[in-house]
Amino acid sequence: MLKTLSTLEFGETGRVTEIRASRHELNCMGLRTGKKLKMITRQPIKGPVVVLIDEVEIAMGLDLAAQVTVNIE
Amino acid sequence: MKEQPDNTITVLMMGNPNVGKSALFNRLTGANAVVSNYPGTTVDYTAGKLIEGHTTYEIIDAPGTYSLEPHDAAEKVAVLLLDERRGDVVMIVLDATKIERGLYLAFEIMEREYPCIIALNMTDVAHDKQIKVNAAGIQRLLGIPVVETTAISGEGVKKLAGAIRKAQVADMDAIRKRLEGSGEDRDETVPCPGCGGCRGCG
Ligand SMILES: Nc1nc2c(ncn2[C@@H]2O[C@H](COP(=O)(O)OP(=O)(O)O)[C@@H](O)[C@H]2O)c(=O)[nH]1
Ligand SMILES: [Mg+2]
Repeated sequence: MLKTLSTLEFGETGRVTEIRASRHELNCMGLRTGKKLKMITRQPIKGPVVVLIDEVEIAMGLDLAAQVTVNIE
Repeated sequence: MKEQPDNTITVLMMGNPNVGKSALFNRLTGANAVVSNYPGTTVDYTAGKLIEGHTTYEIIDAPGTYSLEPHDAAEKVAVLLLDERRGDVVMIVLDATKIERGLYLAFEIMEREYPCIIALNMTDVAHDKQIKVNAAGIQRLLGIPVVETTAISGEGVKKLAGAIRKAQVADMDAIRKRLEGSGEDRDETVPCPGCGGCRGCG
């Protein structure tokens, strides 16, 4: 099932299938297509959204998270 | 690498925030560090001396950054220090427990054809977390020296100092070929079409 990262529930895991924002922005933090991630925190309104990838926490704004598509397994 | 008339070679330390750059810097330079303000900013950086054999190195501890497209003033200073060729050599510091993230910046620096070496720091933490890092393999793949360090205990720091003079400009084409040969850069599930030795297609 595909979801945007901004709608993932706490504790939910999935694999990144598409990044519509500037890739550079997220790639340099270690978030890229194909990576598995887990939702840690999702604050409302502007974020932050914090996900765990390879045991590294990555924080971003809600806007950016809305541009990332994740396949829930 | 070029030596200045006074035989001083400058080494710019670059890496993500919190990888242990400053801890390594302190180990390398001891107690002679000088803090400078980068003109026109509120950002400071530290420089110090390392004498290794007959060579004097000036080591500069740049602010941490995730990429060479700066997001804030501190990152911008790190990029400016690199752009101005303040380092004859760039020492890229990676956190051995977060290598993939750090390699993004590492590749950006290597693409700019600076003589580089890599310090693979936090090896103690990697060991504790049972993260196995193939330093020799990374060195072979990138064709630049890779030295494992633990800045807080000082392990590997002498070796790192000795490796500065072996700094190499990375050959990106050769790296791409080696990656294509092994296929090790691919994620198991999602192939990455169209880019060759990819460092992360979105
Ligand atoms: N366990 C461990 N901790 C380290 C090592 N290197 C640095 N640290 C710690 O990691 C934190 C960040 O180090 P620092 O040098 O400030 O990182 P910088 O942001 O890259 O300059 C500090 O608490 C250091 O004491 C290391 O090799 N092993
Ligand atoms: Mg520091």
